[in-house]
Amino acid sequence: EAIPQTRRADGPITHWQCSQRRNRQIRYKDLHVFQLEHPTKVIEWTGDKNICVAGYTGSRSEILELLLPLKLYAGENQGLCAERDFKVQHGGFSEEPIESLIHISGTRCVVTSGSSSSTLQIWDIGGDDSDVIKRTGVINLKSTSVKGCKIAPGLTDEPAVLHGSCISEVQLTEIATGRVLYTVAKESSDSVSGLQFVNACVFLICASDGTLFMGDTRDPSTCHYPLEDSKSGLHWAFGLRSDSSQSEPSGCTVARLSSSGHMLLSDLRNLQSPFCQTQLNVQHDASKNDFLNVSWAPVLDRCLSVSGFDGTVHIYNTINWSTEGQSPQPVFSHRGHEMSDEAKYSGSPPVVTTHSWHQSRPKTILSVATDGSLHVWDWVDKITDR
Amino acid sequence: MPDIKVTPLGAGQDVGRSCILVSIGGKNIMLDCGMHMGYNDDRRFPDFSYVTQNGRLTEFLDCVIISHFHLDHCGALPYMSEMVGYDGPIYMTHPTKAICPILLEDFRKITVDKKGETNFFTSQMIKDCMKKVVPLNLHQTVQVDEELEIKAYYAGHVLGAAMFQIKVGSESVVYTGDYNMTPDRHLGAAWIDKCRPDILISESTYATTIRDSKRCRERDFLKKVHETVERGGKVLIPVFALGRAQELCILLETFWERMNLKAPIYFSTGLTEKANHYYKLFITWTNQKIRKTFVQRNMFEFKHIKAFDRSYADNPGPMVVFATPGMLHAGQSLQIFKKWAGNEKNMLIMPGYCVQGTVGHKILNGQKKLEMEGRATVITGTANNVIPHLASTLLDVKLQVEYMSFSAHADAKGIMQLIRMAEPRNMLLVHGEAKKMEFLKDKIEQEVFVRCISCYMPANGETTTVVTNPSVPVDISLNLLKREMALGGPLPDAKRPRTMHGTLIMKDNSLRLVSPEQALKELGLSEHQLRFTCRVQLHDPHSDTDTLGRIYTHLKSVLKSYSIQHVPDGTVIVESIVIKVTSSAEEPNLKVILLSWSYQDEELGSFLSTLLKKGLPS
Repeated sequence: EAIPQTRRADGPITHWQCSQRRNRQIRYKDLHVFQLEHPTKVIEWTGDKNICVAGYTGSRSEILELLLPLKLYAGENQGLCAERDFKVQHGGFSEEPIESLIHISGTRCVVTSGSSSSTLQIWDIGGDDSDVIKRTGVINLKSTSVKGCKIAPGLTDEPAVLHGSCISEVQLTEIATGRVLYTVAKESSDSVSGLQFVNACVFLICASDGTLFMGDTRDPSTCHYPLEDSKSGLHWAFGLRSDSSQSEPSGCTVARLSSSGHMLLSDLRNLQSPFCQTQLNVQHDASKNDFLNVSWAPVLDRCLSVSGFDGTVHIYNTINWSTEGQSPQPVFSHRGHEMSDEAKYSGSPPVVTTHSWHQSRPKTILSVATDGSLHVWDWVDKITDR
Repeated sequence: MPDIKVTPLGAGQDVGRSCILVSIGGKNIMLDCGMHMGYNDDRRFPDFSYVTQNGRLTEFLDCVIISHFHLDHCGALPYMSEMVGYDGPIYMTHPTKAICPILLEDFRKITVDKKGETNFFTSQMIKDCMKKVVPLNLHQTVQVDEELEIKAYYAGHVLGAAMFQIKVGSESVVYTGDYNMTPDRHLGAAWIDKCRPDILISESTYATTIRDSKRCRERDFLKKVHETVERGGKVLIPVFALGRAQELCILLETFWERMNLKAPIYFSTGLTEKANHYYKLFITWTNQKIRKTFVQRNMFEFKHIKAFDRSYADNPGPMVVFATPGMLHAGQSLQIFKKWAGNEKNMLIMPGYCVQGTVGHKILNGQKKLEMEGRATVITGTANNVIPHLASTLLDVKLQVEYMSFSAHADAKGIMQLIRMAEPRNMLLVHGEAKKMEFLKDKIEQEVFVRCISCYMPANGETTTVVTNPSVPVDISLNLLKREMALGGPLPDAKRPRTMHGTLIMKDNSLRLVSPEQALKELGLSEHQLRFTCRVQLHDPHSDTDTLGRIYTHLKSVLKSYSIQHVPDGTVIVESIVIKVTSSAEEPNLKVILLSWSYQDEELGSFLSTLLKKGLPS
């Protein structure tokens, strides 16, 4: 796709959008481009139509709960809905840059971890009567981590958070009381890359070196599954695909992605041996380990998305992946963040900090980048959406 | 305490009929005088009874300022000046002065002629109102009177829109009207210097919104137009003659040129020509790009956009038509709509808000069948009894309808940018719908780049009083300063101010603090000393000298912090008060205490005389 380099002083359309029109290919069903005042590295759904974002670049950070543009929900009447903007519904201030933010399902509570304090902050997003997000408490941590403590919501009725920056410090804390409900009994100082509950009791931890730990809060021991061929210097992220939040391991797949683009897919029943290994065609840059993200599509079957290497989000269909095959081609790549005007004039091109699939619209994705851009896009699969 | 009072009569926690009263330094100013487009009764006008219950407003207002020509900012001006009554000056920029009367007349025609309203201003009233207008240029300080001065700043938004600084002495207020902080195709972005007003009154239309990029909205608009034209359909875009229409014209013209499209684009006549005429006339009010290219080619001389003729609506094939008025409530745009509504290949793009009751409003609510009053006369009845009446037809709305908003207002980020530019001491938000803006208020109050800042959001009729701290520069004479320094003690600082005494001379707009002696000298007055004397009779069986000694001891025990001296010549001196004791030869035990004090020690003197009247302790 050669992009024409015509420079027009008053061009109304950026090159990449224009080239699409000329090629008569409709790449996007929908594309909305926004600019946040401060970039975020978190997008967390707090409702069907609401997300939370938070700043990480200043000492004081804003946490915002945003309402998605109503036009996305207008269905047949989309033409009659003029609302294409995000609305700030609630906002608050944190005294530190925010590295992670999670929402406790069924409540108006979010928990954040930052890069400068040794606590997790607990917030009440608020209801209709006020638009201020207030801090309601803290959970004390054993240490401070520059990368922020990794956190995940518990899936039990009583709100709890699973947290830890290194394996031996991972514990499950009840939010209301601060009581420690479970501690991982593993003497390992490996740093945590991510963690998540599979169901109310079973959880997964991915260490930065790619080792997976699976545990059960009813059982003090955890099993660990190191990589067969572990290369040093690589950083790993993981994405869990499950049918629902009450899944049994049989229905779950784990994707692990390295900072060099190596991808492993494993079935939760057999974490020892991944059923698929492949190498994605991406640039490896050790300095960008922070933003590695691999997510499974909630609706589309076996589709996953990858970001954090540069300003692109790639979408893959893993159905035809095989270990021996060539590097798989993405079914779609969103290049919007690196093709914006802001990107052209800045010294370093923006990197996608995180992205998130819409929970019900099959092909809608939200992505954010280091320059504060926020895109909401609905892509067209060239093959299936004719 | 000196203060500034702000009362919105309209646009307080609401959008529409902007009208804000400001009282500053003894002056009363009305900012904007708009009409609320959502009402048909008196609610469409601001409530002027707040200024005065009955009678004219002239004596209550020092001036009126209009920020731009949108009807929700100037629509009630002729009503206010000619029907309620105001004869003072009305300030606005040159383009606003030129364009206002056109929009007012257009609006009047539709309201009176088409809708049959009676309590409305006339054409003559519009003319009389405009005679009171004093136009001004950007960044030009205008003295309304000796104390009140105003200055206009570029606001973007629409042609001629300005933000105003109102200043009395060292107190000032800045009113933004409507503005935007990002330039668009034909207008630049708002700009103001670091004028540090006591209050910045800002519109907050999109204060809690993060707006979709202009390019995405434009891309969407162009995509819809292009798709319609490609399938042979016709696109109708109802617009007001001036405002966003020009922006959309430039957008389409550029797109047509780039894509080499052949379908015709038309702009309905009448107001159009005047509109483009004004844009050419006020070219300095447009953005840099337009001004630069103006030499080679006038941006408003369109190659692909031609004047519309009524008959073209029936031409076959694709076309795009911009037609007035904007809400499809009457006139040409409604005529064209009736012709094109029945064909699903066609498209209607509504680029703005439509007032309730208009066809535009009904369509945007999804109505697919509209009752239209026909023009044709239908004759019914028998041959002998003919009844002519207007046929009303039911119109099927089959064409595609798209609602797109192109208005240019500042969002939260833009408001913060303006705050950082102007550095106000306080913020006041108007012209916004969010009832809850506590987060924005917190954000503004915590903004690190400006000094302590409070944020207000009054409702209509609610007065916000902001205490100001105007600094009054006073020159102090060297003598007085030296005298103060000689008193010793710690040097005064902001946290520990020290009281000092002097005489303030206000002459020829300058303030000087001098010693009383110098003041008297300058005024050519001679200094007088006032002394009071008082005699207190006391029964005291001692010698005069002893009595005096007893007085001395007594006073020393009561007045511990004062300087009391017992002088050998037979007097006790308390500060400057002199006390003597005498008695007569006939009655040596009846003492007469003579007290004498100067005016400065009046209080102490009175105290002492009262004290001594009570007698001495034994």
